[in-house]
Amino acid sequence: MAEREPTGGRAGTAGEAPVVLEMRGITKTFGAVRANDGISISLRRGEVLGILGENGAGKSTLMKILYGLYSPDAGEIFLDGERAEIKDPKDAVERGIGMVHQHFTLIPPLTVAENIVLGAEPRRGLAVDLQRAVRETGELCERYGLRVDPRARVADLSVGEQQRVEILKALYREARILVLDEPTAVLTPQETEDLFSTLKELVASGLSIILITHKLGELLGVSDRITIIRDGRVVDTVPAARTDERELARLMVGREVLLRVEKEEAEPGGVRLQAEGLVVRSSRGTVAVRGVSLEVRGGEILGIAGVDGNGQTELAEALAGTRPAEGGAVRLDGEDVTRLGAKARKRRGLAYVPEDRMAKGLVPDFALYENHALKTYDEPPYASRWGWLRPAAMRRRAAEALRAFDVRPPDPDLPARSLSGGNQQKAILARELSGDPGVIIAYQPTRGVDVGAIEFIHGQLLRQRGEGKAILLISLELEEVRSLSDRILVLCDGRIVGEVGPEATDEELGLLMAGRAG
Amino acid sequence: MSAGRGGLSSALQAALGRAAGALVFPLVAIALALAVGAVIVLATGNNPLAAYRALAVGAVGSPAAIGRTLLNATPLIFTGLAVAVAFRAGLFNIGGEGQLYIGAITAAILGVSLGFLGPLAIPVVLLACLLTGFLWGAIPGLLKARFGAHEVITTIMLNFVAINLATYLALKPFRTEGLVPGTDFIDAAARIPTIGLGLGRANYGLFVALVAAAAVYLLLWRTTLGFRLRAVGLSPGAANYAGMSIGTSTVLALAIGGAMAGLGGGVEVMGVYGKMSIPFVSNLGFNGIGVALLGRNHPAGVVLGALLFGGLASGAQELQFETDVPLDLADVLLAIILLLVTATRLVELIFGKRVREMASGTRLDEGLAS
Repeated sequence: MAEREPTGGRAGTAGEAPVVLEMRGITKTFGAVRANDGISISLRRGEVLGILGENGAGKSTLMKILYGLYSPDAGEIFLDGERAEIKDPKDAVERGIGMVHQHFTLIPPLTVAENIVLGAEPRRGLAVDLQRAVRETGELCERYGLRVDPRARVADLSVGEQQRVEILKALYREARILVLDEPTAVLTPQETEDLFSTLKELVASGLSIILITHKLGELLGVSDRITIIRDGRVVDTVPAARTDERELARLMVGREVLLRVEKEEAEPGGVRLQAEGLVVRSSRGTVAVRGVSLEVRGGEILGIAGVDGNGQTELAEALAGTRPAEGGAVRLDGEDVTRLGAKARKRRGLAYVPEDRMAKGLVPDFALYENHALKTYDEPPYASRWGWLRPAAMRRRAAEALRAFDVRPPDPDLPARSLSGGNQQKAILARELSGDPGVIIAYQPTRGVDVGAIEFIHGQLLRQRGEGKAILLISLELEEVRSLSDRILVLCDGRIVGEVGPEATDEELGLLMAGRAG
Repeated sequence: MSAGRGGLSSALQAALGRAAGALVFPLVAIALALAVGAVIVLATGNNPLAAYRALAVGAVGSPAAIGRTLLNATPLIFTGLAVAVAFRAGLFNIGGEGQLYIGAITAAILGVSLGFLGPLAIPVVLLACLLTGFLWGAIPGLLKARFGAHEVITTIMLNFVAINLATYLALKPFRTEGLVPGTDFIDAAARIPTIGLGLGRANYGLFVALVAAAAVYLLLWRTTLGFRLRAVGLSPGAANYAGMSIGTSTVLALAIGGAMAGLGGGVEVMGVYGKMSIPFVSNLGFNGIGVALLGRNHPAGVVLGALLFGGLASGAQELQFETDVPLDLADVLLAIILLLVTATRLVELIFGKRVREMASGTRLDEGLAS
């Protein structure tokens, strides 16, 4: 074994346990990109192996190879010491590999038991034996201490419970190796803790778990060993007990990283963005925002914390003017803009960084210069009075902005699609912050971007705050909200359920986010 | 300007490179289709080389052949543009056939009543065709923007309405006595003149078509409206985010497409037939879909695609004359070419991924997803 021997964590239990899975020299190339470059990992019986890496480091590719979704160009997989060629996901399941994806694969109108047995139903004659399904599901819940009602409809469950159903699904198929892909992205801090205690029970009963994440802190608490992947290669494998966040961050990024944001005391000025009793419908027609009022002052960052799907998208869009408000009012620098569209609000100095850069923030097949002019293409200097475009002016301005915002490569003729996530996000920031906006709505501004880009984006937001801009930061990453915001509002089920300072604890925020306090 | 010149030439090089890349895919498809066609010709007991020689001679072998090819290609440029403009905005315009009929009946009626204007009638009547095509095309656009009716359904259904409406007008209120049922002939002075040069019936309508293609190019890539249409077509989410009205873009894209097909109908009547006879030429609108696909929904590609369609059609006549190969071989070749151009996965299987990336303009699956 080339890697360090595990001794820390819950050492002793996992140290001598047999290796159940070994992936050796896995290499996978997509076009010019080598997603996996000779990656080797090993997993012992009864341990949690954390796999840490930035977005695009190759974690998902490796797991897709393990689950039979991709076949590796080179390298071998051993299960219980025997060479295994995993042909497809069905084959993987038969060999005892279970996968809990980031996005659940449940059918909402069906019950928990039905979802769990789906595809492997117990039968009586030709019919599905639903009673047996319910009984077996109940037993499974009992055995692993995963509390869910087998007869409940999945649609009625919380996200945390749905995740439990996903885990049960894998256990029902007798998984011995459980892979969880970014499992905490959709959970409140409390739900995360519940999940981790579940995982500890599972490994105690002999399961082996691979936990994939880009969140450093989480891994330390729950894993035995942590394998760090960067640019498709294994950088190191370290015992969790012998490392800390700082070292992990350095290994993951390849240089020293500022984990905490340094910021100066806020000097809030007048109210620049204001919402009053805002009511907004979701695209499905349900009321997603139920009377939100908020005020953002110049020179401050107001954070909105909350679990995904509690009205963040609708709130951001109603404030930015890309979605109509059903009731209430939006004011920009005192002017009522409720009836104005996104373009008019943009002209009045509103910048908006949306949460989904590929579906909203950018036209992926447009060149960067076209994307840079996406909101101002019909204004001088990009257009003449008669509606003729001036691509030369677009190119020139875009080239300047891309360089100023460190977009790599800063070539305005490249399609936006060809950039990495971090650089796409910087390109959006370059567009939104040009023209000196007074109010900035930043929704998940660092989602899925690398640590370097996060540092840059956070720095830009703080600089804008220093210049007296009003910034509304909506994020699902608690750490981000807490480190940047001057005040934090918690959004739950479309309502503001509390306001706390940035020093609030995880527990405090978590309870509010779950709607169980206040 | 010395620094600017370097930038210009590199931009030009890039553009030429893109154009070459864009041509590779259709050329591969054509070559493959010819290979498959050769097998079919062999199966009919003929010599493929002789057959293709006859096909080429019939398409471009003489001024008359070239004239026939140009004559065939002219309306297809218009109907191809009708599909391409809408496609760039993310819409499928299957209504080219009906829109062409609307333009044709407009020209047939106005051409007669304005015939006293002589040559001056030509631009006036063509503008009217542009307008009626525009309005007719706007209908499915409005239905989609207001009520969410899918444009594929509505444009198909409106074809029946348009064809029957035009047929009714030509056979009842505006019918004249004659051997062939239809409208009266337009005064010769008010018709689009032929080019001459031994090109047969090929007329200056071809230049109207080329101007239309250039106008569509400028519209899409050089105006703010085109910027909006392309943004909406490529990413409705981002267009909405940027504050563009998707409904307005939908109406305009289909209406402009309708205007192109309507103009095509007008040019057919004013340039080729001089009247609208019933039955009128059919399938020009539907073949426009194939032309646009072959031309990757780019105006320049549409012109080339229309020339290929037109050339194969005129070549097929010579083919039938010279050999025992049936006229239908041209249709078979076209079908195979279109199949290969649209079935990008098939070509990817044969030639690898790189070739497929060059076909990005023809991705039906992406457009259909919305």
